[in-house]
Amino acid sequence: MNKRQRKTALAIARRLMPPEEFDRVMSIEINDLGFGYDQFGMEKEMAVLSYAVARYVYLYWFRVESEGHENIPKTGSALIVPNHSGVVPVDAAMVGVDILQKAERPRIMRAVVDNFMGFLPWVNVFFNRVGQVVGARRNFQDLLSNGELCAVFPEGTRGIGKPFNRRYNLAKFAVGFVELSLANKTPIIPTAIVGAEEQAPMIGNLKPIARLLNFPYFPITLTFPWLGPIGLVPFPTKYHIAYGEPMEFYREYGPEVLDDPEKIRMLADKVQLVVQDMINHGLEKRTSIFGIGEN
Amino acid sequence: MARARQKARPEGHKEKTKNVLITGVTTSIGRNLVTHLANDPQVGVLLGVARGEKPYYFNDIPPERFVYRQCDILKPRELKNLFLSKTFRETDINSVVHLAFQNRPVRGENTHRLNVEGTRDLLRKCLETPCIDKFVFKSSDVVYKLLPHNPAYLDENADLNFDPTADQWVKDRVDADMICRSFMDNVHVKIVILRMTNIIGRNIEGQFNSYFDSKPVIKTMGFNPLVNLLHMKDVIQAITLALMKNVHGIYNIGGLDTAPITTFADLNGSTVLSLPEPILAPVNWLQRKLGLTDYYYSVDKERQKYTALLDISKAQRVLGYKPKGRIEFSH
Repeated sequence: MNKRQRKTALAIARRLMPPEEFDRVMSIEINDLGFGYDQFGMEKEMAVLSYAVARYVYLYWFRVESEGHENIPKTGSALIVPNHSGVVPVDAAMVGVDILQKAERPRIMRAVVDNFMGFLPWVNVFFNRVGQVVGARRNFQDLLSNGELCAVFPEGTRGIGKPFNRRYNLAKFAVGFVELSLANKTPIIPTAIVGAEEQAPMIGNLKPIARLLNFPYFPITLTFPWLGPIGLVPFPTKYHIAYGEPMEFYREYGPEVLDDPEKIRMLADKVQLVVQDMINHGLEKRTSIFGIGEN
Repeated sequence: MARARQKARPEGHKEKTKNVLITGVTTSIGRNLVTHLANDPQVGVLLGVARGEKPYYFNDIPPERFVYRQCDILKPRELKNLFLSKTFRETDINSVVHLAFQNRPVRGENTHRLNVEGTRDLLRKCLETPCIDKFVFKSSDVVYKLLPHNPAYLDENADLNFDPTADQWVKDRVDADMICRSFMDNVHVKIVILRMTNIIGRNIEGQFNSYFDSKPVIKTMGFNPLVNLLHMKDVIQAITLALMKNVHGIYNIGGLDTAPITTFADLNGSTVLSLPEPILAPVNWLQRKLGLTDYYYSVDKERQKYTALLDISKAQRVLGYKPKGRIEFSH
């Protein structure tokens, strides 16, 4: 955006939220390379405007409730590790909005997104501008070295593209995040998102079309593709987000563990179990998918 | 004998007097380099070679500091004569900076010969000449393979573009880079490859200079990657450091200015037209035919879509390179 567009973006954002919330969000800092962008293409004004819009989805569509914000560090690098689901990855956006809104200190969550996002016109630009980063190892490493709050979804696209009958059963976690956590002495914050699995129940996957379009999956849901792009709008399920206590494996394990694939796998499994437990706990507490009858 | 006299010095140690042969001295980089090195007390004599007559702008440089010689490095006889010439021997040349390239991605056998065979023949001659102990090769970031899942910063070990469908000019740059790289283990001649990002400035023949001067600037719809621009001041700094320091290897050289394509186009006062990818090539061809641009889209197909900034940490650490030049735009 040029100067005029940035000014307009901030003016719109200011109108869309209360002044104290605007000031809070504006207090975020980016590692500006000189023209208002960081090395991954994030632009503060675009991130603030996107937040201003997404907070309505957060407040009025998914009616997000969350707990455990005290586990999110105020400074320094940390890895948010949630489950991932819902065909359209709005769960990540809701966690991002939640952290900006409710964490003790507002921080931008830098989600490490799947490689295929880089192919998608417009989507790739939007994702970069709001702080999302393509999941190359080097990017991840740079984010942690810069002391950023990162989110990684170790289930990857297997998580968001899983069928409805597998809801809330985590797909096997990838291990890269454990290695990076150990190498950078970064705490892992296990996070559970309850509610996203039902937002777009996936009943099928058109693999040939997915292959043709270079997508990881091509979903068939109750509404997509029958209603066209509108069919991708998720149902207004109620979200519950919980942040668990930080897991600091680097306090127990030295760098030599990085050369031990079995131990790394074991640590990834540990995180997966904690997240699964948190999900199960959230499901037990939940009274209704749509939050009917909840306060 | 000259080789026998050389003592091993630790990497990073500064050399003493440098007598430098510069090929492609009439290019804007060559001209700026000569002006800079002629004022450097660590440099003895500069021998500039190019195909044409000596240009007027070298007349101001004292003859005891700069000697110009006409030479076409593609002609084996001329190249041999250059290395056997009295001028070469008297100036006691010990370093070579190779800048003789076709920087504009024009097609044809001559471009290929200059960019690949010229580099190979010159390097071979340098390796055969005992008094030469440094060969600096100006490469480019077009040698890197760009993919949507590349990290934002590419280091010197990133994959090179060996794509058979790549533009011939890009393939030539990769070949030339590889030729230099293949002799990197030579113990007598320290080879330095400087992979530079997009150089921007007045009178510079470069893709991005042409790109931002296009009328209008055409861009791939739905993409707006970050690009890094390099100031001439930093090009000269990097080459000088590569010459002076007792180092060899590959170094990425980037500048201070990083922003999306549209930001730089705006700052340059250019009109940007976003078009669907399949029609960019024909539109660019038409623009060139109408004289509206010198830019070749086929070279930058991927760069128009994916961010690939150069990680300059190795150059900073080993060479002591520190970018200083900010690009001044008209708006």
